[in-house]
Amino acid sequence: MLVRFWGTRGSLPVAQRAEAIRAKVVRALVAADGRRFASEDEAAAFAQENLDFATYGAFGGATSCVEVEGADEAFMICDMGSGLREFGIDAMRRCAGGHARTYHFFMSHMHWDHIMGFPFFAPAFDANATIVVHSGHADAEEALRRQQEEISFPVPFDWLRATFEFVQHKPGEVVEVDGVEVTLVVQHHSHDSYGYRFARHGRSVIYSTDSEHKLDNMDSEAAFESFFKDADLVICDTMYSLGDSVSLKQDWGHSSNIVAVDLCHAAHAKKLALFHHEPTYSDEDIARMHAETVRYEELVRAERPALEVICAYDGLEVTV
Amino acid sequence: MDWQVRKDGGRLIGQPRGRVDETTWEKFSNDLIAAVREAAAAGLPLTVDLTGLDYMSSRGLRALTMAKREAGDAVAITLAGPNERMREILAISRYDKLFEIVDDVGL
Repeated sequence: MLVRFWGTRGSLPVAQRAEAIRAKVVRALVAADGRRFASEDEAAAFAQENLDFATYGAFGGATSCVEVEGADEAFMICDMGSGLREFGIDAMRRCAGGHARTYHFFMSHMHWDHIMGFPFFAPAFDANATIVVHSGHADAEEALRRQQEEISFPVPFDWLRATFEFVQHKPGEVVEVDGVEVTLVVQHHSHDSYGYRFARHGRSVIYSTDSEHKLDNMDSEAAFESFFKDADLVICDTMYSLGDSVSLKQDWGHSSNIVAVDLCHAAHAKKLALFHHEPTYSDEDIARMHAETVRYEELVRAERPALEVICAYDGLEVTV
Repeated sequence: MDWQVRKDGGRLIGQPRGRVDETTWEKFSNDLIAAVREAAAAGLPLTVDLTGLDYMSSRGLRALTMAKREAGDAVAITLAGPNERMREILAISRYDKLFEIVDDVGL
């Protein structure tokens, strides 16, 4: 399977402000220290090799949207955050090259930041497209229709030309979707959210966002260890520090980098992708959080095999 | 993980030894909560002596949170003498913002 991150930010899309770009350029110029480059390619290579990611790149600001490539023919996408717009444009390009026009969406939940990309999803206007929305919620269709109502958006849902199907699944059930085994788990979040496990050919990917792990519910913790068990990649909500998640931001429905590492350790997962980044974080803040998480994993690893900790960004691709 | 508790200098001191992880956190949590209740009954603050602790994972940190909630305003909890590894864990988790941390137990 191949996982593509189209949107990785939590709660609200963010964009780089001029001063943030200026700071990156300034740091790059200082690092270049008077070097001359014969071409932009040569300069790009220097940047890649010598600058940190927060300087030569950016984590991006689109909200949750992750593609899991690996079905027989169809597209498989987790959530419809603002990253969906870019996915839709790329999917149209791939469809022009012969890709099947079937889209299976797997919804964590229907909060605004996870559906706001749908009104801008170009394939919804393709009369030859089939869009299947999988969810643990009974009200997924209502949420998408309500978002298109005139008070919020000028194009009503019924003007969309694709063929739609809404499928509700029960947690724990294993369903096969175009050759991929999919399992849901219910998560602690306002109005509930659902995590997904995608498995094929002995490989597995977990998508678990907007999930709070409560201090006083260790039975739930054990259930997540089981759900994450031996996963090759766990995409996990790491929006807050553990300290914030148990104090000021308790019951806000999100998890921490610390709990994510401990769950992955207990589950013997192989790779953790930090996800659903706090919208107030700068690129430097996210890079610092990533470095701290890598360090925490080292500090508590003990005799376990190393857990690789990566930090999701808009545009990242991970082969599983 | 071993746990000992004693009264010293107008406070209750709880001392865990070893590591707090998924196999030992429940004992640590129970011992810590019992110490908070003992401190509350005696009208004493509680110092958690971390000098003998190798490290704690999030399970241990969450036990600290449960203890803080149990303590409320009745018992002030201080973490004392964390080793370098524990100090890093407390900083990464931002628990250094939730608890008073002192360099040594100050006997």
